[in-house]
Amino acid sequence: MIGTEHDPQEVTRILFRDFPLWMMVVFYMAAVCALGSFAYGTYAQIRKYRRGVRSGAWSPFVERFVGMVRDVLSHRTVKRRDTSAGIAHAWIFFGFGLLFIGTSVITLEYDILGPLTGLTFWHGRFYLVFSLILDVAGVGLIGALLYMMYRRKWLGLPKLDYARPDRIPEDPDYDRSFYRREDWAFLWILILIAVTGYILEASRLVWLQHDATVWDYRWWSPFGAIIAHFLQAVGVGSEGGAEFRMGLWWFHGLLAFAFIGLIPYTKVKHIFTAMGSLMARDPDAKCHLPMADVDEEKIGFSELTDFTDKYLLNFDACTKCGRCHEACPANAAGYPLSPRDLVLSLRELADDKLSDVRLPEGPIEICGDGVNQIRPETLWSCRTCGACTEICPVGVEHLPMIVQMRRALIEEGEFDPVLQPTLRSLQKSGNALGESRRKRPRWTRKLDFAIKDARAEPVEMLWYVGDYASFDPRSQKVTIAFAEILHEAGVDFGILNEDEQTAANDVRRIGEEGLFQAIAEANIELLAECDFKSIVTTDPHTFNTIKNEYPELGGTYRIEHASAVLERLIREGTIQIPKNLSYRVTYHDPCHLGRLNNGFEPPRHVLSELGADLVEMPRSKDNSFCCGAGGGRIWLPEPPELQKPAEIRVQEAAEIGGLDVLVVNCPKCLNMMEDGVKGSGNENNFRIMELIELVAEAMTAGKPGQDDGAQEAVEVA
Amino acid sequence: MKILVAVKQVSVLDDEFEMRDDGRDVDEDFFEKDLNEFDHFAVEEALLIKEASGGEAEVVIVTVGDDDADDALRTALAKGAERGVRVWDDSLVDADSVTIAKVLAKVVEREDPDMVFTGAQSVDFGHAATGMALAGLLGWPHAAVVSKLDFKPGDENATIHRELEGGLEEIMSVTCPAVLSIQLGINQPRYASLRGIRQARQKPVDELDLSDLGLSAETVKAASRVRRMYAPERGQAEIIEGSVAEQAARLAEIVKELRGA
Repeated sequence: MIGTEHDPQEVTRILFRDFPLWMMVVFYMAAVCALGSFAYGTYAQIRKYRRGVRSGAWSPFVERFVGMVRDVLSHRTVKRRDTSAGIAHAWIFFGFGLLFIGTSVITLEYDILGPLTGLTFWHGRFYLVFSLILDVAGVGLIGALLYMMYRRKWLGLPKLDYARPDRIPEDPDYDRSFYRREDWAFLWILILIAVTGYILEASRLVWLQHDATVWDYRWWSPFGAIIAHFLQAVGVGSEGGAEFRMGLWWFHGLLAFAFIGLIPYTKVKHIFTAMGSLMARDPDAKCHLPMADVDEEKIGFSELTDFTDKYLLNFDACTKCGRCHEACPANAAGYPLSPRDLVLSLRELADDKLSDVRLPEGPIEICGDGVNQIRPETLWSCRTCGACTEICPVGVEHLPMIVQMRRALIEEGEFDPVLQPTLRSLQKSGNALGESRRKRPRWTRKLDFAIKDARAEPVEMLWYVGDYASFDPRSQKVTIAFAEILHEAGVDFGILNEDEQTAANDVRRIGEEGLFQAIAEANIELLAECDFKSIVTTDPHTFNTIKNEYPELGGTYRIEHASAVLERLIREGTIQIPKNLSYRVTYHDPCHLGRLNNGFEPPRHVLSELGADLVEMPRSKDNSFCCGAGGGRIWLPEPPELQKPAEIRVQEAAEIGGLDVLVVNCPKCLNMMEDGVKGSGNENNFRIMELIELVAEAMTAGKPGQDDGAQEAVEVA
Repeated sequence: MKILVAVKQVSVLDDEFEMRDDGRDVDEDFFEKDLNEFDHFAVEEALLIKEASGGEAEVVIVTVGDDDADDALRTALAKGAERGVRVWDDSLVDADSVTIAKVLAKVVEREDPDMVFTGAQSVDFGHAATGMALAGLLGWPHAAVVSKLDFKPGDENATIHRELEGGLEEIMSVTCPAVLSIQLGINQPRYASLRGIRQARQKPVDELDLSDLGLSAETVKAASRVRRMYAPERGQAEIIEGSVAEQAARLAEIVKELRGA
């Protein structure tokens, strides 16, 4: 409480009392050095980013800035999938932020406003309330820092292990121990600043215990006051407090200056780089790849300076939190790819090559076997499932970077020769399976009705069948079942027969951009000649590219995934589900439908309508674990010595126990999981079925005269 | 230094097809066109020699075919050849290997290359004769099914390996210029991206007809012609079981059946 013996306005923060002139000079010189170091470092970093291609990713500025501020203040992205670390980070962020603001306000008053205008406000009630807030913030900061230390030291989180899957222990850059030391230095320097701040505050109180404008108000800094009483209790008097205060003042101050001066050169810079990166974040980065002019001299990223300024900033925004490392299916299965390590390699390459006053002579090759270079096999390990890009709390966009680098590799022919027949088949016949165009609609021969030819007559719904659904023998059963369901439901639908080509989602993701554009343009031209209201497909890859990537090439359509259509038809009563399937099932979200396009709910509604008992796997919805097929990986053989991502996924399902069916919702997932269920030794434990097959089973099972087995119905289908 | 690579656009047959009305070929609706598989290796070999010499060689692709064959030509150009030559005349529709070789021989005279590569054979007709006939017409040495080649620009001789029956390998030396027919597996052909194929449209292609080469429809008249093409009925085999008498009875039955037909 503010006493009455003195003017309450005298109550203020004691700054430089008892400082001789030389100390003031030294202090201000140190401040200028720290700010100078900060300013130069910031300039050098910005110069580095500007050596990339201009992206314009920060406009519209205001809108993006507001969005970034919202993300930062809510800590939305930092809390995802690691709530405790997110909360601790929030305490550090707000604690540090408030203390920084407090200090800045003092500087503002003492060094700028005061001398210029004579205006002062750092006293009285304003000061006291601020003092209380800062005291609490400091304790939050220290507590959170201690938790972070505990987390690093004792939780043994695999995602915080920087050892690289793409290097062997003998390699010089294998364990990245520099980063570990930097992490600890960062935590220690912060905690030392905070703790010395409290002891400094307490020493000041003890020193000035006879000054009523200080001592009477000590409980406005409750934690400092407690320490002050403790100091008194151990016998520290006013003079001792003064000495303590002087020593700590310098220690605390110089440490804080060192911290500020080091920001641009250390991981501390993530304060700014993460904000800049979040601002530039493309919400569609996971589902829509950057367009390229295929008539340009070159395509993709082969040199470091091909990266945009935004991606160069992305490298520096990475805080090595490991969320992408943990989510990556390639990494989990032991492939030489970790999205985090990829970004860190590029960061180190950029730091090494783009930081000097002059750029090095000649091109800075990205791919190769050198230190910090990216190995082609790393890029080919990616499944483009988007898990890294989607979970990154600071907006790093690994996926488009990887595809951009793949584009250059494809152009240079740097890829597994196994892929060549596939790409040539795509060029020649518009499908990846080496089949002729004429063979595409051959699955329809097994139907006892004719499907309309959408090229020749108007249809309500144009069914874009896709490669695997057309040719893969296992998927054909599903394709036939879907045709029968649509027929049964009286839907007016048609297909493109032999004129359909792959929608080319994976062609784009493997990096064959020219072929993607050629096929997509041909498809758009074909669709323009057809009369239909909407498109449906059972293939999430087809769904994704037509929905998100065709509009840029001039093809905008209403498109639904089969699961959404089924959900609608069941909800509207068009499809009758006469029988409940009492299976215990789990559902595997296809990346391209779920994480990339938020198609989480319709398939789950369908399962619940079917009466299935759905038990979720630990990783589901946005955190679904890719089957391993995406990004063209389905065309490449998996090395026998490695576990397949699909096997890991099936094993995850097997751990549920008592499972009847692992439900998939994508032809490629079906292909991979059928393999995975055998490879993991689970083929006698549960079946892999498409959602469509379950719907067909439920529809047929209830019909009179056909109740002798759902299994058979599916076989017939 | 110049290497001329002769390539062919081949027809890849669908697994279900119908014959043309005249019964001399498959209806072209059931074909897909592609660059001959062997020619990928021939082009690659030429490019490897060029690249190993630091670009001291010019690689020229030549094909005999109509507009359609441009796709094959562009694919080969996209891989890194300098330019192309395409020869066509409607009178070449029924050309056989020797006729094609006559046309190619004129192109060789015109281009004056140091080496000519062809694929060992084409995957659609498989005569494996064009390269040999070309060498004969030019009076140059020829080597068939070359599986390894040691040659660099300026060499007077090329050392080649050939795979023979029984796993034998023959090493021979030929004086240049020569015609070499390249076998599959001699190298790992590079991929021509679609973007590369599109951009290869910028590369120069000489489109020639017979008169440009001093030939006429008469001089390229084929000496052989396809009379009929058909899918023979599948042969059948049957293992006859039972006692000797039963087997004999069944055998007699089959003989009667076949004679009756």
